Amino acid sequence: MNIVVCVKQVPDTATERKLRSDDKTLDRDAADGVINELCEYAVEEALRLKEAHGGEVTVLTMGPDKATDTIRKALAMGADKAVHLVDPALHGSDALSTSYALAQTLKKIGFDLVILGSESTDARTGMLAAMLAERLGTPQLTLANKVEISGAGITVQRVTDYGFDKVEASLPAIVSVVEKINEPRYPSFKGIMAAKKKQVQTFGIADAEIDAAQVGVANAWSEVADFAVAPPRAAGTVVKDEGDGGVKTADYLASKKFI
Amino acid sequence: MDFQLTDEQRDIRDTARAFVTRELLPLEEDFLRSGAARLPREQERSLQAKARKFGFWGMSAPERYGGMALPALTQSLIHIEVARTCVPFRFGGEADNILYGADAAQQEEYLLPTIEGRRLGCFALTEPGAGSDAAAIRTSARRDGADWVINGQKTFISNGDDADYAIVIAVTDRDARHGSTAFLVDRDAGWTSTPIPTMGSWHQPATLFFDQVRVPAGKVLGDVGAGFDLAKRWIGKGRHVISAHCVGIAERCLRMAVDYANLRETFGRKIGANQAVQWMIADSETELEAARWLALRAAWDVDRGADARHSVAMAKLFCCQMVGRVVDRALQIHGGMGYSKELPLEGWYRAVRAMRIFEGTDEIQRLILSRDLLRGFTRIGGHLA
Ligand SMILES: Cc1cc2nc3c(=O)[nH]c(=O)nc-3n(C[C@H](O)[C@H](O)[C@H](O)COP(=O)(O)OP(=O)(O)OC[C@H]3O[C@@H](n4cnc5c(N)ncnc54)[C@H](O)[C@@H]3O)c2cc1C
Repeated sequence: MNIVVCVKQVPDTATERKLRSDDKTLDRDAADGVINELCEYAVEEALRLKEAHGGEVTVLTMGPDKATDTIRKALAMGADKAVHLVDPALHGSDALSTSYALAQTLKKIGFDLVILGSESTDARTGMLAAMLAERLGTPQLTLANKVEISGAGITVQRVTDYGFDKVEASLPAIVSVVEKINEPRYPSFKGIMAAKKKQVQTFGIADAEIDAAQVGVANAWSEVADFAVAPPRAAGTVVKDEGDGGVKTADYLASKKFI
Repeated sequence: MDFQLTDEQRDIRDTARAFVTRELLPLEEDFLRSGAARLPREQERSLQAKARKFGFWGMSAPERYGGMALPALTQSLIHIEVARTCVPFRFGGEADNILYGADAAQQEEYLLPTIEGRRLGCFALTEPGAGSDAAAIRTSARRDGADWVINGQKTFISNGDDADYAIVIAVTDRDARHGSTAFLVDRDAGWTSTPIPTMGSWHQPATLFFDQVRVPAGKVLGDVGAGFDLAKRWIGKGRHVISAHCVGIAERCLRMAVDYANLRETFGRKIGANQAVQWMIADSETELEAARWLALRAAWDVDRGADARHSVAMAKLFCCQMVGRVVDRALQIHGGMGYSKELPLEGWYRAVRAMRIFEGTDEIQRLILSRDLLRGFTRIGGHLA
């Protein structure tokens, strides 16, 4: 089975994250880049499926040069090889154009199963899996906390507000995972040493037949109109319960248009 | 000159960091509340077993004992990470360096079980009358037929109350220059111990009593008369690690101080808006950074096979003092909270004080440094001058 895991490098949540003042995109140089946490679960799941069913795990990353750190981490965990989609034209792509660029690349490299984290800690749109499925014409099985493969079929347990759904589909398919699915392994010493020798293929937009007019900050469908630093938290309102606490609370929430 | 870590060093550090973040930091609150000096042994061993699965095992141990014999610099990077938490933890698979000098039978009986965590040893050199001046030890081992009979007292011995065997340096020939010998002495052979309550909760040392303790000739570690040589050859090998430890603790304390300075408000503004607090933070970072390079440089000297005693002494002297100052400032910035047992600061404040005493006091490090310079053994500025 040919499994592709899409991983993303995100700014370390422990450091301060900033937007650039010129084009209002994320300032990826300002913070340390780390692998998006949910992507680690995706890599782990891919490795477990490979261990159970055989095959190969390819890591796919779209990101600037320094995203090689994240690729190396996934390879050190045990993935077999990687594809790094990197091109200045891709800078500032929004979710929609990212899904286009990744879909084009996935068509090139081929897959039986694509696994993603359900969202990234920086943009948090959580839409990529669905967009990829649509573009590739494959089933989408999102928010999985359990994945099973049998023959050409795939079954996942999809987390919902009321419990879970059991969703079945046939391969090839796109799966996004939540953190309850597993406990990601640590890269081992051996893995870290071996990662250096694994193949990392670099794709530019031409290699993946990506149309430059559909990607990048200039062609994004969404735009950051403006941004400001969050104002410091103001003092809260204390409701003193003198028998009418419920009413006062409700009045307050209504005044803020919460109810 | 390139001040970057290699990719490999960074990846190893990141794995150690992830382990500390995921496995140890979440234990901190309960650990502090428990007031315990260490994790329960079972818990520590299961954490070590978990780390072993991804190869963090026997960092300093030679490969033929299942270890990785990692470069000193890589080990230092890992120690910096582990020192960030007040939960005492070390990756498993290691033994006192001196045990690598054991013969085949002793390795079977002491080294291997120690590496596997089934036995716990301690290293006993210091005595009530001999600390810095180790040559003044009085504990004696007297030949009696095929056996040796040991008499005397050892004190301030780390793990001394828990250990099931001790590596004891004793005088075997009072008149000879090389008159001391190392022995492997099981607790079953009859020595006893009492813990010494100390200022910090780490390293809980103990006093060891030897009263006519009889051991067979096979318990001599190395050669008769080679006790000090053995001790010197092996012990200094791990000393750079202490400096790394200081760096890790200081880094965490400074992080806490910065966060708190940005959070705590007095007189209508963040305490970090006051120059008094800013300067404490600036001084701490500068000293921490200097300490980091001294620590890593000492490790680098070890790795390139140079005589590292001088740079290790410099690193230990500076790092152990630095961490005391940084913890002190971090505690000050936290005010009353810093003094409370809810945070690790007060514990570190007490614990790090020991670092200026064991493995050679500040003064002994200075003695080494000045002697090297005054006698022309080293050049000012070392390899860069
Ligand atoms: C927590 C802890 C754990 C320890 N663990 C171990 C262990 O596992 N095994 C072990 O064998 N020992 C251990 N020790 C002992 C430690 O190595 C000694 O305490 C240390 O070597 C100092 O010896 P001392 O305490 O006898 O002080 P002393 O040697 O008596 O020194 C007293 C003071 O005089 C200074 N001084 C001494 N000589 C000179 C000089 N020539 N010039 C200037 N100043 C000098 C010293 O620096 C110090 O300030 C431990 C100690 C502590 C506190």
